[in-house]
Amino acid sequence: MRQMARLLLLLPTTTYRTEDFVDAAGKLGVELVCASERPSTLEDLAPDTLVTLEFRDPDAAATRVAEWTRRRPLDAVVGVDDLTATVAAAVASRLGLRTNPVAAVAAARNKYEMRQCLAAAGVPVPRFRRIALKEDPFTAARGVGFPCVLKPLALSASRGVIRANTIDQFIAAFRRIAAVLRRDDVVATGDAAEFLLAEQFVPGLEVALEGLLIGGTLHTLALFDKPDPLEGPFFEETIYVTPSRLPDTIQRRIVAAAAQACAALGLTEGPVHAELRVNDDGPWVIEVAARSIGGLCSRTLRFGTGMTLEEVILRHALGWPIDSLDRERRPAGVMMIPIPRAGRLRAVHGSDRAAAVEGIEEVAITAHLGQELVPLPEGWQYLGFIFARAETPDAVEKMLREAHAHLTFEIV
Amino acid sequence: MSESNDKSTDLKARVQDLIDSMINPAVAGHGGYVELIDVQDNRVYLQMGGGCQGCGAADVTLKAGIERLLKEELPEIAEVLDTTDHAAGNNPYYTPGKM
Repeated sequence: MRQMARLLLLLPTTTYRTEDFVDAAGKLGVELVCASERPSTLEDLAPDTLVTLEFRDPDAAATRVAEWTRRRPLDAVVGVDDLTATVAAAVASRLGLRTNPVAAVAAARNKYEMRQCLAAAGVPVPRFRRIALKEDPFTAARGVGFPCVLKPLALSASRGVIRANTIDQFIAAFRRIAAVLRRDDVVATGDAAEFLLAEQFVPGLEVALEGLLIGGTLHTLALFDKPDPLEGPFFEETIYVTPSRLPDTIQRRIVAAAAQACAALGLTEGPVHAELRVNDDGPWVIEVAARSIGGLCSRTLRFGTGMTLEEVILRHALGWPIDSLDRERRPAGVMMIPIPRAGRLRAVHGSDRAAAVEGIEEVAITAHLGQELVPLPEGWQYLGFIFARAETPDAVEKMLREAHAHLTFEIV
Repeated sequence: MSESNDKSTDLKARVQDLIDSMINPAVAGHGGYVELIDVQDNRVYLQMGGGCQGCGAADVTLKAGIERLLKEELPEIAEVLDTTDHAAGNNPYYTPGKM
């Protein structure tokens, strides 16, 4: 009989999330099996713990894992991002493990399907229209209202998301998104490779809700303010601060809208990352993803007596008890350091001074020297992340800005 | 030399042998290499270099690959720990991003 639980983590080779999930698995003392879309150099030597899966084909991945588990039963399967969330659901469903319905995760992964589900359930969403990339953009532009936002159906991190105020801007954005979808580093298949979404631009403040679904009930883990205005033409994410400074009544409406959106999609288990806009008409659901927060941002969150978000997610997937889903009371925040322009990173200055700012916990420069940097809307990476904790959310935001001001990046 | 020192030296030699014979020839496929820094109290301290330094999959290589292999061959090993300065890696095989 097995003594140790066995967990399959689906880790794309290029995700930021590997270290935090692998650390969490180590803390929980589970036997860790890692699957990636490309073979590890050690896979032949360690076939019990390293697996290659075709993440673009969830059914094929499920079949492969079902075969693999005949000699090595699994207790949980966890995906760490949008792409692997769908694969994890397919694999876990095949094995009879705790997961969301595959169709619900797939709907959340496709922005058009998501909008349709949410609109049908009466969840406030922007007016939207799916447009085939083979359509004439000039003709397509005449069918939308302005200002609008054009976006790919299935990319993350605001990649390819562009605001258009005029027909000319619409046509330029349309062509730019089509080019993004042809890039070698883009994983877009099926409808996501052939269509884009045009939707009404919703003015207002933006927030992000981090949650955990347990048996269909949404537990809010954190609500983040995004204090930098996101008005376009591109939608670069920078600062996240929690707890939110919005009035309690508005926060409750945001949570209710996110819960309604999860129910509309049919999501019932596991992490949820939702993005909403708030204006005089109330909250508008922009995104609901069946995954946890991206990048290294989860490092802002601690629960109960210091549990990380990844430990919470793994415990939930394993069906283990979770002592507390209450985030620590101290305000916290992160700044995703944006890439200011294209080029090659030659040097980073001021990291020590940035790290020395009061309240700054960590300055993690994740881009490496010599790296080719691609800014939005084509890019999908950051220069790094800055983390802060302080007595108030305002102080957290101030410290993050102060630390960022100390950093300079030589890009040639 | 004490008996415990003898054991530690012997374990270190066996770990080095596995790194030389199994691990480094494999990770060389991605331009990487692994150096044994020390073995203390059955804990193995390693550094990763080349394509492994700063690689988005370095933790997978370490925990699901190297640690697994070393523990299989040398069950007395308690843990394998990475002492690499990954931020200083300037040629990682996989560069992480928010896909």
